[in-house]
Amino acid sequence: MNETLINPFNTLTHPTAVQTSFYAIASFARFDPSGRYIGAGKYDGSVSIWDLETRAQIRTLDGHVKAVTNLDWSRNSRFLLSSSKDWNVIIWDLAADWDPPQRYKTIRFDSPVLSASFHPRNSKIIVALMDTGDVYLVDLRKEHRSRVELVEVQEEGEEDSRQSDMTVVRFDPSGRYIFVGTSAGTILVFNTRTKVMIARHKISGAGVIKGLEFSRTGRRLVTNSSDRTLRQFNVPTYQTSKDGGACLEQELEPTHRFNDPINKTAWHSMAFSPNGEWLAGGAADTATHKIYIWDISNDGQFASALDGGREPLTHLHWHPFKSCMASTTRHGNILIWHSPSPERWGAFAGGFEEVDENVEYEEKENEFDIEDEAEIQRRKMKAEEEEVDLDAVPDDPAQFSTRLSVPRDDEDFTWADKEPDDDSPWKMRIIMENDDT
Amino acid sequence: MKDEALASASSSQQSALFYPRLSLNGHTRSISSLKFSPDGSTLASSGADRVIKLWDAYTGEILRTLSGHDQGISDIAWSSDGEFLASASDDKTIKIWSMDKGVEVKTLTGHTNFVFAVNYNPHSNLLVSGGFDETVRVWDVARGTCLKVLPAHSDPVTSVSFNHDGTLIVSCAMDGLIRIWDVDSGQCLKTLVDDDNPICSHVEFSPNSKFVLVSTQDSTIRLWNYQTSRCVKTYSSHVNRTYCLFSCFSHSKHKYIVSGSEDHKAYIWDLQTRQVLQTLEGHRDVVLAVATHPTKDIIATSSMEKDLAIRLWFGKDDVVTQKTQ
Repeated sequence: MNETLINPFNTLTHPTAVQTSFYAIASFARFDPSGRYIGAGKYDGSVSIWDLETRAQIRTLDGHVKAVTNLDWSRNSRFLLSSSKDWNVIIWDLAADWDPPQRYKTIRFDSPVLSASFHPRNSKIIVALMDTGDVYLVDLRKEHRSRVELVEVQEEGEEDSRQSDMTVVRFDPSGRYIFVGTSAGTILVFNTRTKVMIARHKISGAGVIKGLEFSRTGRRLVTNSSDRTLRQFNVPTYQTSKDGGACLEQELEPTHRFNDPINKTAWHSMAFSPNGEWLAGGAADTATHKIYIWDISNDGQFASALDGGREPLTHLHWHPFKSCMASTTRHGNILIWHSPSPERWGAFAGGFEEVDENVEYEEKENEFDIEDEAEIQRRKMKAEEEEVDLDAVPDDPAQFSTRLSVPRDDEDFTWADKEPDDDSPWKMRIIMENDDT
Repeated sequence: MKDEALASASSSQQSALFYPRLSLNGHTRSISSLKFSPDGSTLASSGADRVIKLWDAYTGEILRTLSGHDQGISDIAWSSDGEFLASASDDKTIKIWSMDKGVEVKTLTGHTNFVFAVNYNPHSNLLVSGGFDETVRVWDVARGTCLKVLPAHSDPVTSVSFNHDGTLIVSCAMDGLIRIWDVDSGQCLKTLVDDDNPICSHVEFSPNSKFVLVSTQDSTIRLWNYQTSRCVKTYSSHVNRTYCLFSCFSHSKHKYIVSGSEDHKAYIWDLQTRQVLQTLEGHRDVVLAVATHPTKDIIATSSMEKDLAIRLWFGKDDVVTQKTQ
C-alpha cells in the first residue's frame, strides 16, 4: 500500500544498506511468506520468531535438544517446521494462544536431519534430508500416510557402482517435483506423487551440489556447488506421469555462471529477488560479511557487493516481496538489509508534487482570467458527482500473486490438494510482556 | 445556501433511516469518544470523568467501568481481536486494558503533554498516538516501548490512524495539515492542505485506504484522494467551529458518512450524492462523538456536559430484528 507513495516512479532496486540487526544467536534466519516475521534457528535447538515491525522477539519454540538445521513456513505462516540434528522434525502450530506455541507434530527419523521442508501446497507433505545422504518424503494425510525413501535409479551398466549421496533437496515452487542435488554433481528430479525419479541432470564440473534455489515462478534454478560457482539454469519441462516413459538423462547447460574471479570465495547461500530480477550470493569469506548482487534482467551482470561488517556470513534469505534481505552472521546476529529511500522534504509541503523530469512551464491562455466564483463552485460540485469506491482494494504492485495456475485435470497437482491442511489465514496473537520481567 | 435547500428537500422526501432506540446513562462528565468493538457486541465510551465504560451494544446494559487514569480521557481504540482497549488521557499516558481480565495491563509513558488520539494497527502489534506535544508516536504494544517519535506537526495533533494494511499512518493537527507517514521508515510521504488552512478535527482512511476522510473546523468534511491530492467529496450543512468532532464511515451495506455537530444534532450524509439523509435530534449539547457499528445499521452518539446520555440509533431493519430477539 505504501509503495506507490514511497517509490512513485517504480524504479527497481536491490537492498543496499543494513537497516537493523537482531541479536538472535541464530545460525540462520528465514522470512515468513507474509514478510512480517523472521524465524531464526539456533545451535542450542531452539527457534525464535521476530516481529519485523516491532523488531522484537515474540515467540520462542523449545523442542529440539541439538542444533536446528532448517526452518520452513507454511503458506499462511500458521505452521512452522523445524529440522534438527537431534533426529527430529517438529511442526509447530503458531495459532495456539499461548507462548510457547503448541507442538503440532513430531516426526522422528533414524539419523540427524539436515533439512526439511513443507510441500508448497499442503503442509501435511514433507520432504526431509538425512545426514546419511538419504531423502524421505513423509505424507501425514490419513489417506496417504507414508514415509517413502526417494531412490536414485542407477544408470544402465553401472549397477554395481556406489550410489552418490544426496546433499540438498527442494520442492519446485509448484510442488509437483522434488529436486535433489547429489555429491556426484547431478540433479535428480522426482515426481512428488509417484515418488519415481523422472530425470537426472549432469552438471559438468560442479563437484558436490551444495545448494539449490528456485526463482518464484519456478522457471529458473540456481545451484551452488563445491567448485565455488553459482550456476543458473532454465528449468526444463518434464513429462507428466501419465505419459510414463523412462528416466530422462540430460546434461543441463547453465545460462549464467557466477563466481568471484579475484578471491575465489565459495558461497554459503544464494537467493533470488521475488521478481527474479536480482540474484544475491552470500560469500563464504572467513573475515568479512559480503553479499554479491547480480542483475539477472541485465544478462547477469555483476551489480554490487554489499559489506555487512566483520562478522562472517552464514546464511542469506530474501524477503517474499520487498527489496529486503536477512543475512545471518557467524556470531548469530541477523542483519536486515533494505534499500533506503531518500527523505523527500517536498512531502512536508502541502500540494507539492514531484515530477520525474523537468517540465517547462507554459502559461495557459486563460490563466489570469477572472472567473465567476459561483461558476467555479458549480464546476467543483459537478466534479464531485463522480462515484467513489471505498471498498475495492487496489492491487498492490509490491505483492504480485504467488499462486501459480493449476491445471485441474493434472493428477500430479490435484493429488497434493486432497486432505488440505488447516493453514487458513489467521492472526498472530499479541502476548503482552509482563512488566516485571 | 444551495446545500441547505438540497438537504431539507431530501430529508422531507425520505422517511427516517434511523430511530432512537437506547439511552445509556452513567458518565458524569462530557463523553469524549465512542467505539464499537470489532465484533460489534460491545460499545466502549470514555469521558472527562476519567473512566471508560463498556456497554452491551444491543441491550444498552452496562458491563463494566474501567478507572485508573488521573485525568480525563480523550480517545479510545480497540485492538482488532477485541481483546484489548487503549485509552489516551490528559495525564500524558496511554493505558492498555485487557478485556478478558478487566484490568489495566500496560501504561505507555513518553508524551510530554495531553494525549489526544490513539489507534491500533490492523495486526494490533503497534499503537499510534498523537497529542498536545505536537508529536505522533508509534508504540510496541507487547513491550510498552515507544518505537518512533515523529515531530509531525506544529500544533496539537488531533487525530491519527493506520491504513488497512498497516503500512501508512495519517495524522492531522490544529495547524491544518494532514500528513501521511510511512510506518516502516517514519518518513513523511505526503501532506494535504486545504486552501483556507482550517483546523483539522478528525481524520481516517477509507476501508480500502484509497481515500482519507477529514473533518475541519470550517464546518466541512472532505474526502481526499491522497494519491492525487484532490478533494473528491465535500459534506457540509452541519456546524463545526470549535470542537474536534468525530466523523466516520458506515460499515453496513448502506454507504453513508456520520458526524456530530455543534447544533446538538448528528448528521448522516449519503456517501455519493453528499446530501443529508437524516439529522439525529435529541441531544441537548454539542454532539462530539459518533460511532458506527461494524456490521449492522447502528449509530452511537454522545454529547458534552449538559447531556450525559449516550444514544443508540438503530436502522429500520435492525429495529425489527432487535425486537424479535
